[in-house]
Amino acid sequence: MLDVVFIAATIGFFVIAVAYVHACEKLRGGERNEP
Amino acid sequence: MTLNGWLQIFFFLALILLVTKPLGLFMAHVFNGERTFLDRVLRPVERLIYRLTRVDAQHEMRWTEYAVAMLLFSAVSMLLLYVLQRVQGFLPFNPQHLPGVDSAAFTGSSFNNASSFTTNTNWQSYVPEVTMSYLTQMAGLAYHNFVSAATGIALAIAFIRGIARREMQTIGNFWVDVTRATVWVLLPFCLVGSLVLVSQGVIQNLRPYDTAQLVDAPSTQLIAQGPVASQEFIKQWGTNGGGFFNANSAHPFENPTPLTNLIALFSIFAISAGLTYTLGRMTGSQKHGWAVWSAMAVLFLAGVLVTYASEARGNPLLAGTDQTSGNMEGKEVRFGIANSALFATVTTDASCGAVNAMHDSFTPLGGLVPLANIMLSEVVFGGVGAGLYGILIFVVLSVFIAGLMVGRTPEYLGKKIESYDVKMAMLVVLVFPLTILVLTAISSVSPSFGTSQLNNPGPHGLSEMLYAFTSGTGNNGSAFAGISANTLWYNTTIGIAMLVGRFMMIIPMLAIAGNLVGKKIVPSSLGTFPVTTPLFSTLLVSVIVIVGALTFFPVLSLGPIVEELMF
Repeated sequence: MLDVVFIAATIGFFVIAVAYVHACEKLRGGERNEP
Repeated sequence: MTLNGWLQIFFFLALILLVTKPLGLFMAHVFNGERTFLDRVLRPVERLIYRLTRVDAQHEMRWTEYAVAMLLFSAVSMLLLYVLQRVQGFLPFNPQHLPGVDSAAFTGSSFNNASSFTTNTNWQSYVPEVTMSYLTQMAGLAYHNFVSAATGIALAIAFIRGIARREMQTIGNFWVDVTRATVWVLLPFCLVGSLVLVSQGVIQNLRPYDTAQLVDAPSTQLIAQGPVASQEFIKQWGTNGGGFFNANSAHPFENPTPLTNLIALFSIFAISAGLTYTLGRMTGSQKHGWAVWSAMAVLFLAGVLVTYASEARGNPLLAGTDQTSGNMEGKEVRFGIANSALFATVTTDASCGAVNAMHDSFTPLGGLVPLANIMLSEVVFGGVGAGLYGILIFVVLSVFIAGLMVGRTPEYLGKKIESYDVKMAMLVVLVFPLTILVLTAISSVSPSFGTSQLNNPGPHGLSEMLYAFTSGTGNNGSAFAGISANTLWYNTTIGIAMLVGRFMMIIPMLAIAGNLVGKKIVPSSLGTFPVTTPLFSTLLVSVIVIVGALTFFPVLSLGPIVEELMF
């Protein structure tokens, strides 16, 4: 049972990390650098 | 302190200085796809890997694709290591018939170990020789020693490309960078290095453990064996630090001679020092690479000075006893004070974590330095790749602060540093203390699962707990010891801290690279702060120390500093 918890937690962490990537990119898109 | 001790320290630094250019040049050639002396052998290997894995080596990635590829690679590798540990009892190369990790009592050790080796931390809450089968050591832990190090190098190269390229959108191909880092930078050197270690007495076998009849007792002692040499060199070369044995580099089968001790020290710093030259080469500003190298060297010398002086002074609590050799508790007599202090400084400057002395037995100030080194984000040469991209975050902050001083938009090698870059840099900087301080605070007020695992009360106990979370989050992996961390609480929280400390810092770092790569080069003007001068190195050192000191000074004052004042 605990195996399932830890494996799910690991997968969950990396899903959050991928979402973090896209959040950072979205923030970048919202900011305009000087030309 | 002795003249002999200082000569050894400066000899070591001279070796690092000597290797910086050739190794840095070699890595620049490797990652620019230029010719190297190993190409005739390794190019066919590289092509075969791409063919088998269906990698298009010509495909260039934006930072988001690069980051997601790195995350997927790490996630799959981590899950495989988790499963391998759990089922090792059913698999071959297990002459001691060790059961699966966590099978006797589930403490979350398999999760902690999987997180630890995937993140290049190699924190070990378990005793390796009674926990891991040879197959797990070779196919699980040693594999991660290579690929986690290769991932760090790949990320540093991607960041350098972000600085060096102009008005592009891509920072390279993750699969190509990892393959080249493994095949060119890690494997050939480890092959030669492991053989040198074998020549010095480091063991390499697959046989069952030996049983020795003790001379002064009717009992026997089990002497652990195993494929040590093949794991030992990459342990240092890849700044991994996870020992084959519990005693790590204090064990005579891992570190048998003064020469192997020097090789270990040299291996820990070599790639990271070389990468500063690679930075200069790839960005077209060799002086900038040396300015970064100089800042690192200054911080290294300051750390080793304090540690060496503190340990040589001896333990004030033992005043009246013979301490002519200094504070020798927890140290190998064959290494002595100088080499123990040097090793402790080097292993925590880099995110290695191998130890040849027990940091818990250091004097308060001697123990403060390894702790502070990790708290400075291990940017003093640092982990392979991680050290360089870590210090480049501080470079971004330094030029930003310099820009504020003169009231101009800051520039870094011709690229304007703007609000997004600084926001991402602050995310990198803040996630580190946030994780360490929150988890330490929870543990320090929780007697049932936090403080109950400490071997020492008071400020030293706080230092032990603080060190554990700092080492985990900083992906160092060295243990202060004195804390029984193989519990469900510590395995789970330190396991999470290692993941956060690795990946949540990498993502905003890559975001900066992805933002910088699209910018055009602005011609330098009178308002441009030069990043090639001693003034820049001084500012960089100041920013690193001030950010680290401001963030962690309160908790350090409750731990090692108050302990020093109690003497």
